[in-house]
Amino acid sequence: MGGTDALLAARLAAGDDHALAEVFDQFGAAVYGAAAYVVGTGGGAQDIVQDVFVELWCHPDRYDPDAGSLRGYLTLLARHRAVDTMRSELRRLARQERHYRLTIDEGPPSPGEQVLTAHMAGEVRAAIQRLPAAQRQVVELAYFEGMTCREVASAVGIPEGTVKSRLRLALAKLETVLDRQLLEAP
Amino acid sequence: MTAAQPDVLAGLRARVLEASQRARTAGEPVPQVPAISPAEALSRAADALYRTLSALDGAAWARPAIRDLDVQGLVGHLTGVEDDVQRGLAGDPAVSLAGHVESTQAAAVSQAGREPARTLAEWREAVRRTLALADAICQDDPDALDACVAVHGMRLPLRALLIVRAFELWVHENDIRLTAGLPLAVPDPPVLRLMTRLAARLLPGAAVRAGVPGPGRLHLVLTGPGGGSWDLEWDPEWDPETASAGRPCPAEVSIVADAVGFCRLVADRMTPAELDPYITGDHDQAAGVLTAAATLALD
Repeated sequence: MGGTDALLAARLAAGDDHALAEVFDQFGAAVYGAAAYVVGTGGGAQDIVQDVFVELWCHPDRYDPDAGSLRGYLTLLARHRAVDTMRSELRRLARQERHYRLTIDEGPPSPGEQVLTAHMAGEVRAAIQRLPAAQRQVVELAYFEGMTCREVASAVGIPEGTVKSRLRLALAKLETVLDRQLLEAP
Repeated sequence: MTAAQPDVLAGLRARVLEASQRARTAGEPVPQVPAISPAEALSRAADALYRTLSALDGAAWARPAIRDLDVQGLVGHLTGVEDDVQRGLAGDPAVSLAGHVESTQAAAVSQAGREPARTLAEWREAVRRTLALADAICQDDPDALDACVAVHGMRLPLRALLIVRAFELWVHENDIRLTAGLPLAVPDPPVLRLMTRLAARLLPGAAVRAGVPGPGRLHLVLTGPGGGSWDLEWDPEWDPETASAGRPCPAEVSIVADAVGFCRLVADRMTPAELDPYITGDHDQAAGVLTAAATLALD
C-alpha cells in the first residue's frame, strides 16, 4: 500500500482526519491559487478553499483516482466554485445597478466594491471587444450609453426586434466566453 | 497562479480542518454503512456460510479444512461452539474456561461417516437456537447486550460475543472456500463494520498482552466499505494512582490497511507482510502492534 492519491481518497472515505490535513498540506496552496486567480486574494478565495476541502471531506467518493490527479480535481473544483462566485457577484452588481438607476443617489460605492467592479468590468469589456461588430454595437449602445431598445433601433436604423435578438445572442455569447476564460485560467 | 502567504495558509488550514470536523465527524466512513444489530451480523454470517456449504458436493465435505478436521468435522466444531455459547448464555460456569478446540472436539469427530446434510442441518439449527436465546434474553432485559458472558476463556459483553461468532463463521467459511477452490468471501459492509470496530477495540489489550512497548498511541485506518478510523492508546505501565502531570507524551504510530485484510490478520489467516499496510511513525512499534493483532485470533 503506497501513499498515492487513491490511498489518500480511501483514507478520507474511512474518516481519517490526518489524511485531510495531509491533503491540505500538499494541495492547499494550489487550491488557494486557483481560487484567488479568479476572485482575487480577499476573503472570497479563502471561503472557496474551505468549501472545496469540506466538499472533499464529506464526499471523497466523488473523486475518481482513475480519472486524474487529486491536485487537478481540487484545483478544478476551486475554479468552478470561483466562477460560480463571480457569476453571483455579477448578477448582484447588475441588480444593484438597476436599483441605483431607479432610486436616488445613495452615495458612492465602497472601495472594495469599486475594486471588484473595476476588475469584472475589465473582463466584460474585453469579452465585448471580441463580439461580432453588429452585436457589439447594440451592446455598447444599450449598456454603456444607457439607450432603450427602441432608441438603439432608431440610432442604428434596424427594427426593434432585431436589436433584441442581437442583444440576446450577444449576452449568451458573453456568458460562454467569460465562463471559458475563467475556467481555462492557469 | 496567485501565491499565498504562509500565514494565510496556516490560518486557512486550521479553519478548513475545523469546518470539516463540523461537517463530518472523523472516524466514520462514507458512504455510510447501514447499522445492524450484532444478532443480525451473526445471522447474516450464518446465512453466507450456509449458502457456501449448500453448494458443496459430497467430496468437498471430506476435504481437509483446518487442524485435523475435514470440512464436515469443522462444521461439527461450529455446532459444538454454538452449544457452548448457549450454555454460557444460560450462565453455565463449566464453559467459561473450557478450551475452544478441546470442548468441541467430540462434536467435530462425531460427524465422521454421517450424511453431510444432517451435519449441515444440525449446525443451522444450533445457530438458530443461539439467536433465539440471545433474543429472548434481550427481550427480558434491555441492558442484556452489555452484560458479560463467559465462554471459552473469553469474557465479553453479549453484543461483542455475537460479533465474535459472526467473525468465526466468516473465517471458517473462507477456510472451507479455500479448500474447495472457491474465491474468498467478503462480509457485507454492515457486518464488516461491526467486525472492524470490535477488532479495533480489542487491539490495545492485545498490544499490552503481547508486550508491545508503551505508552503508545495508534491511529488505525481501515479502508474500504465497512472500514473506519480509530485513535487507540495503550500503556502497560500507567497507574492512575501514581501518575504525575509530567508524564511523557506517547509516541504515535499510524497504520493504514485494507479492512478485510486486517480482519484476516486478526483471525490469524494473514501475516503483517501479506497485509502490506501503509505505516508512518515508529515502524518497530507498528510491527509489534500488527503481530499483537494476529494474537487476537478471532477465528
